[in-house]
Amino acid sequence: MNASSEPASSAWSRYAALTRHAFQMEFRQKNGLAGLILFSIAAVYTCYQVAGSRAEAEAWNALAWVVLLFSAFNAVAKSWPEDAPEMRAYLIHVVRPQEWVLARITFFSLLLCGMSSIVFIAFTLFLGTEHLNGMQAVYFFMGMLFTSIALASLLAMIQALAVRANGGFGLIAVLGLPLIIPVILIATRYGMDILNGISFADTAHNLLFLGTLSGGFGALGFILFPYLWSD
Amino acid sequence: MAHNIWKIGGFILIACVLVLVFAVPMGPGVLELRGTGDTAMSNDLDRKVPEYVLTGFGTHWSENPGDLQVLVRSKANLARLEVMEVLDDTHARIGLTLPYSVPSKSWDVLTNHSVDGTLLLENGLFLSDRFIDESISLSGIDIEEFEADLPFHFPYQPRILESIRNLMLHVPMWFTMFVLMGIAFVASIKQLASARATAEDEKAESAVRVGLLFGILGLVTGSVWARFTWGAWWVDDPQLNGALVTVLVYSGYMVLRNSLESAALRARLSAVYNLFAFVILIILLMVLPRFTESLHPGKGGNPGFNSYDLDSALRAAFYPAVIGWILIGLWMHRINMRITRLNKKIK
Amino acid sequence: MNALNLILVQSHPLEGWFFGSGKALVVLAVALILLVGFGLWMWRAEARLKQLEAKLDSKNSAPS
Repeated sequence: MNASSEPASSAWSRYAALTRHAFQMEFRQKNGLAGLILFSIAAVYTCYQVAGSRAEAEAWNALAWVVLLFSAFNAVAKSWPEDAPEMRAYLIHVVRPQEWVLARITFFSLLLCGMSSIVFIAFTLFLGTEHLNGMQAVYFFMGMLFTSIALASLLAMIQALAVRANGGFGLIAVLGLPLIIPVILIATRYGMDILNGISFADTAHNLLFLGTLSGGFGALGFILFPYLWSD
Repeated sequence: MAHNIWKIGGFILIACVLVLVFAVPMGPGVLELRGTGDTAMSNDLDRKVPEYVLTGFGTHWSENPGDLQVLVRSKANLARLEVMEVLDDTHARIGLTLPYSVPSKSWDVLTNHSVDGTLLLENGLFLSDRFIDESISLSGIDIEEFEADLPFHFPYQPRILESIRNLMLHVPMWFTMFVLMGIAFVASIKQLASARATAEDEKAESAVRVGLLFGILGLVTGSVWARFTWGAWWVDDPQLNGALVTVLVYSGYMVLRNSLESAALRARLSAVYNLFAFVILIILLMVLPRFTESLHPGKGGNPGFNSYDLDSALRAAFYPAVIGWILIGLWMHRINMRITRLNKKIK
Repeated sequence: MNALNLILVQSHPLEGWFFGSGKALVVLAVALILLVGFGLWMWRAEARLKQLEAKLDSKNSAPS
């Protein structure tokens, strides 16, 4: 150890511990997680009731992304034990805000990836796979994962902002929905391309775009989160 | 007085622009060449030919009726149509003096006149009942070309017509909004750097407020223009969606401000959100429209405005309009900021 | 000749009418009056702001 004022543990281990802790909290308190999954499946089932099992490709695509979007907002907007003021007052002395925000983005990314898997499986179960042949399903699911990560990297920040402003779901929606529209625009275009049978190579730039957006949002969050966190 | 010159200058510029916008006439153009369904006797060919009516826009054909020449062009083929009678300034009866076998179905229509110069209507003539033989070539006619003899005027654009004047009102709104949101962006960065003072926050707030006003004006002027040229108040288009979402994002900024009580926390949180908002503004209005097909001029799809970059009359009105609106926007921002600060001091 | 008359009637009715009949000049006059009015209003607002700011400053600097 050199003579800097670094705490004994490394930034990496604190980050890993924070992420692991978030998952442990989530799995210990199973009703929250079950609620999220139930919401997603219920949303898909509602779509099935509305559109039927023979939805057109456009409707299929639109419903899939809308359900993913609302599941993501629902997941992010639920009250997390980490957001309690006491928790922040404690963590502020133990970890750096950058480690905290990265752990948050990782946690939300993995959570939303899990949610999108559930949404995707429920969608193929209820609304059928007639538009998805072979590799198309894989590419569509890949698009969902990329979108989840982009959503997570932006919503982690917006959620922290709303918590600090003592606003609930309403504030997250007002602040987050307009900001998320570029992501949704790109995602729906990618999904439509895949469903229309356009080759993956011709539409892969949309995934690159989503990756760039996630990186940009993540970097902005990394830089700006300390200002949100401190008193 | 000296430091107020820019404020007065902005208003004088916009006054001059308004005079240009409403008083400068529109240049001539060709609206359509349409068949009447009748036939008429041709003097050139000495037989009956289909009769068409050519409709001009702001043309001066009755001044020198004998000078009007009508030609059709398709690639290298050029053929003359017979002008049977000039009815008035903007209408003429045309005889379709083309042979039965022609090299193409679709033709550009050109007119040439001693006052209006050469005017072009792209794909103005479509021949559905002729025999198409691409080996035929029509050319070798001699035309005396006239130079236009017109006063200062705005250029004619198909479909846009007189609404080109809206260019001086619609586009500068977005430029002004960009400038004001840029000011808000810089002020928010400075606000994050400063610890307790909220002066920069007030600057950002009033810049966003005035910028939002200009954004809404841009939406309204754009909507009116879309109704005229595209036929609907709102169309699904990346540029338009981007503009609307930008306005929503900044409305979110105002909502966030109002939901916070503590001034220091409000300054910090709204600065953070404002940085996100500006990044989204850049992505929505600068990056995304370039990657998608768009009706909106200046992006993919519609080449409607490629020529206005070069037109001196439009430039003479457009650049002062941009500068004038930006100056007015800056002045509004300044006054708004001072009112905000004064209110805060009184409290 | 009937078809011809039909075509003559249908070119854009707004075009020409607005600018040809001089109605545009009325709109221009109204727009200019609004612009000048707005400019004067801003000018007065700024003068009044200056006054208030001076008043507030003198109050703050000389506590009574």
